[in-house]
Amino acid sequence: MSLINEFTKGVIKENPLFRLMLGCCPSLAITTSVENGLGMGAAFTGVLIASNIAISAMRNIIPDNVRIPVYVVIIASFVTMTDQLMHAFTPALYTALGIFIPLIVVNCIILGRAEAFANKNPIIPSVFDALGMGVGFTLALVIVSTFREVLGAGTFYGMQVLPETAPAILMILPPGGFITLGCLLGLMNKLQKKTA
Amino acid sequence: MRDIIKLSIFLLLVAGVSGAGLSYVNDVTGPLIEKQILQNKIDSFKEVYPQSDKVENESATHLKEPHDPALKEVNIAYRGGVPAGIIYAVETKGYSGPISILAGFDIATAKITAIKVLNQRETPGLGAKAKESFFQDRYKNKSTAAPLEVTKSAPAKENQIQAITASTITSKAVTKGVNAAREHFASHITTLKQSGNHAVEVAK
Repeated sequence: MSLINEFTKGVIKENPLFRLMLGCCPSLAITTSVENGLGMGAAFTGVLIASNIAISAMRNIIPDNVRIPVYVVIIASFVTMTDQLMHAFTPALYTALGIFIPLIVVNCIILGRAEAFANKNPIIPSVFDALGMGVGFTLALVIVSTFREVLGAGTFYGMQVLPETAPAILMILPPGGFITLGCLLGLMNKLQKKTA
Repeated sequence: MRDIIKLSIFLLLVAGVSGAGLSYVNDVTGPLIEKQILQNKIDSFKEVYPQSDKVENESATHLKEPHDPALKEVNIAYRGGVPAGIIYAVETKGYSGPISILAGFDIATAKITAIKVLNQRETPGLGAKAKESFFQDRYKNKSTAAPLEVTKSAPAKENQIQAITASTITSKAVTKGVNAAREHFASHITTLKQSGNHAVEVAK
């Protein structure tokens, strides 16, 4: 039961992007199309699961004073290995997700989960926490990029959905990212107030 | 004091293990990655000059004298042991960063076969469209007799390329790169033809 809780909290109650406000930088940068959003989410989830497992397994031997540098080393190593392994063994996947992998190093959600969850909990709950956070982040990216792609390019996942005439290109430029994220956050806050 | 030593040793261990792991992964994947990159290159060559059975990088021979800095590589495409086309790798400055392009030229017809934008950092929705085939196709079968020009309306002359709407800087940058290759091609085609004939004679 608690495992399901660990999973769902990342999707809704503690959604990393909409509720914890983590990972804003990559979210703004790559949400120009739904395809990108899904790709980033998938690559991110993979690395988060691996780093949560490693940090949870080492949680009793990492001295408290140096835990942050240790997390950084572990996460950076995982990202680099994932990048190289994907490039070598799954070239098709790498062409789709490759550009997002190096971006994950600077994704603060991974460090955030290491500090807030994995270093206090056993491996199994950490995996579920990582899955939930990964799904939540992916979902958030897909929502943001849906708005941006439909309004800015007139397409959804590459398929034409709006007439081709005049998409609001602004929406897939950086300002569009801020506008979309701001509006969505405002909407979420309003909805939450009502239910609370 | 003892704490500091303990912590340092722990950090050293973690960094050491990570380093060892990374170097192992790098050892395993390095050759495979190199093969991937080479394969990608060969595939891109096929796209800009389809009718070749072998492509060789001959930048050392053909880029000796001072040349346009945009030219990065001169690759000769062979068909049956004879140079049939040239594939240039060029890099120009676009609106928001370098644009690298492959441009294929056919020796027999002295025309551009195709171009391909490999890497760019142009604005999504605007200049980034340079990567789409509708724009790259505008260079197909252009003659190499005169420098290419960018026009904002539909092209009226043979050497005109219609710009991407609202992305004149990108269009001009791509054209500038293709022109650098075109100039090199036009001034070297005679020697290339000769080396081709020479190869035929040797083959006979």
